[in-house]
Amino acid sequence: MAFDRQQVERFLYDEAQLMDEYRYDEWLALWTDDALYWVPTGRDDIDPQREISLIYDDRVRLQTRISRLKSGFAHAQEPKSRMRRVVSNIVIEEAENGEIITSSNFMLAELRRGKQDIFAGRTIHRLRPYNGSFQLVSKKVLLVNNDEPIDNLTFLI
Amino acid sequence: MRTQQEIDYDALVKEDRVHISLYSDPAIFTDEMDKIFHRGWVYVGHQGEIPNPGDFRLKRIGLQPVIMVRDQNGKVQLLLNRCRHRGATVCQEGQGNTRSFRCMYHGWTYQLNGELSGVPGAEGYGDDFRREELGLVKVPRVGEYRGFIFGSLSPAGITLEEHLGRAATELDMFVCLSEAEDVEVVSGTHKYNYQGNWKLAAENSMDGYHPAIVHASFGQALMDKIKNSPSPEQQRADRDFASFRGATKDLGNGHVMLDYKLRIYDSLNGDPMPAVRTITSDGQARIEELTRRFGAQRAANMLREGGTHTFIFPNLILIGIQMRVLQPLSADRTEVRLYPTLLKWLAPEVNTIRLRSHEAFFGSASFGGPDDSEIFERIQDGCAVELEPWQLLSRGLHRESHEDGIIVGDLSDEVTQRGIWRQWKKVMMQGVKAGRTARRRNGNVAAGKRG
Repeated sequence: MAFDRQQVERFLYDEAQLMDEYRYDEWLALWTDDALYWVPTGRDDIDPQREISLIYDDRVRLQTRISRLKSGFAHAQEPKSRMRRVVSNIVIEEAENGEIITSSNFMLAELRRGKQDIFAGRTIHRLRPYNGSFQLVSKKVLLVNNDEPIDNLTFLI
Repeated sequence: MRTQQEIDYDALVKEDRVHISLYSDPAIFTDEMDKIFHRGWVYVGHQGEIPNPGDFRLKRIGLQPVIMVRDQNGKVQLLLNRCRHRGATVCQEGQGNTRSFRCMYHGWTYQLNGELSGVPGAEGYGDDFRREELGLVKVPRVGEYRGFIFGSLSPAGITLEEHLGRAATELDMFVCLSEAEDVEVVSGTHKYNYQGNWKLAAENSMDGYHPAIVHASFGQALMDKIKNSPSPEQQRADRDFASFRGATKDLGNGHVMLDYKLRIYDSLNGDPMPAVRTITSDGQARIEELTRRFGAQRAANMLREGGTHTFIFPNLILIGIQMRVLQPLSADRTEVRLYPTLLKWLAPEVNTIRLRSHEAFFGSASFGGPDDSEIFERIQDGCAVELEPWQLLSRGLHRESHEDGIIVGDLSDEVTQRGIWRQWKKVMMQGVKAGRTARRRNGNVAAGKRG
């Protein structure tokens, strides 16, 4: 199935905006039931069955992540991080079953308690066509600093 | 800044309160690096981090960089990371495998056991050049218990066995009675820093009073999940977590613990829990022993989530499946490293559950640890308030009980914090005099080298 590049880009930009603006329920609604939200630590190509990640969420844990952020008691996000991110260098590949794999770079400015941090990395999204747009099947975020101390990564990345 | 001789620790550390300057004063920090971290026993790493000859990890004892390396004979060496020639570090990578350490200033090369083996242009040195005296400096005392490696930069002092005292059995429980070589510590490291004093994390790690407040979001998320969870087993597991039971215990020597009967982090795991089963006959024997001692449910829980919740003075915390190491950087900055463990004799899927359970609560993006760090930073900010400059540690002081030399309190009591401070004060008051001696000795060594 041919893909519409603009449509794919629009999905990635929209997802970024939902994260920047704490639109948690809308962001959660993007995901499929077989979701995997993965942020490795140490290096990019770890074996998640033998090594820890920063985030390795299935659908259930993703839901917990969001309900925690919405609880008002996630102190590491009270006050919340102020964020804006740029998504660029998008490469799109077709995968089996009409699904699409995108690789894109991001740069995020994150400000909290008077301190601004820059996070950057490459994200691999797997998208499933759905209702004229896409659902998010999996997302793997390769942080530039995934082998360095990270003080707070409790916002959506 | 005060000089160390002027600090009156007796006035700053009371049984029921401590002065906030203990968290913020750079002079006190310097003094505790000297007395606690540069003289006493300090946890460095576990054998399971460096299973093969040539494997190394960069560590610190106090502020001093140390290479923990397994040499060609399989022996663990702790070498100070500094070339004996002109002082550059000889190891740059946080971990890896190597045949030797080479200084990239003039090429001096050291064997894995620290011996100096290569000096370019050796003919440029006279007859008094003693290669055998110029190996990488070894940490004077190295001790090991069940694969946990401790070091002391002081050549004299109590033995590691004396230091660990009653806490040694908690190390046994943490590794579920595994032998040193059965503990794998090669599953990555969670690293984070916080803008606060190192003792804040020590106290918090053994605080049974805070979870309902600091971790309210975790509890709330669990309750939401119970409502939506179809499985009665899962619901029961979640409720057990929500109603922690246990006691605070002061084991002596600054080692303290929360003695939980159950801890269930993998309640947040969406996967059904496979039965704990083993792949080795050795493992089967261990499970039987744990089951005999603790019952089947708790034994299975220990294997999935770790068997103790203990602080080993001054820098090792055993919680869940992780070894957590506190690395003080300055009075108001601390590095924390979490090393999750696997057990060789467990089925691979059980080891994977251990990792998923750990990720739920620990690490920079988890649902637990970052909220603790946030509180540490708020406390550090609070240190700027100078009126009534005390932190209260009196909770449960009136209802402590004593059992075989162990002080026991309610799970929410500050028995554990008081235990840490009792040891801290004892070590810090061991004498300004000894400190002066150590400094003079170091000065003589330096003078000797110049001569």
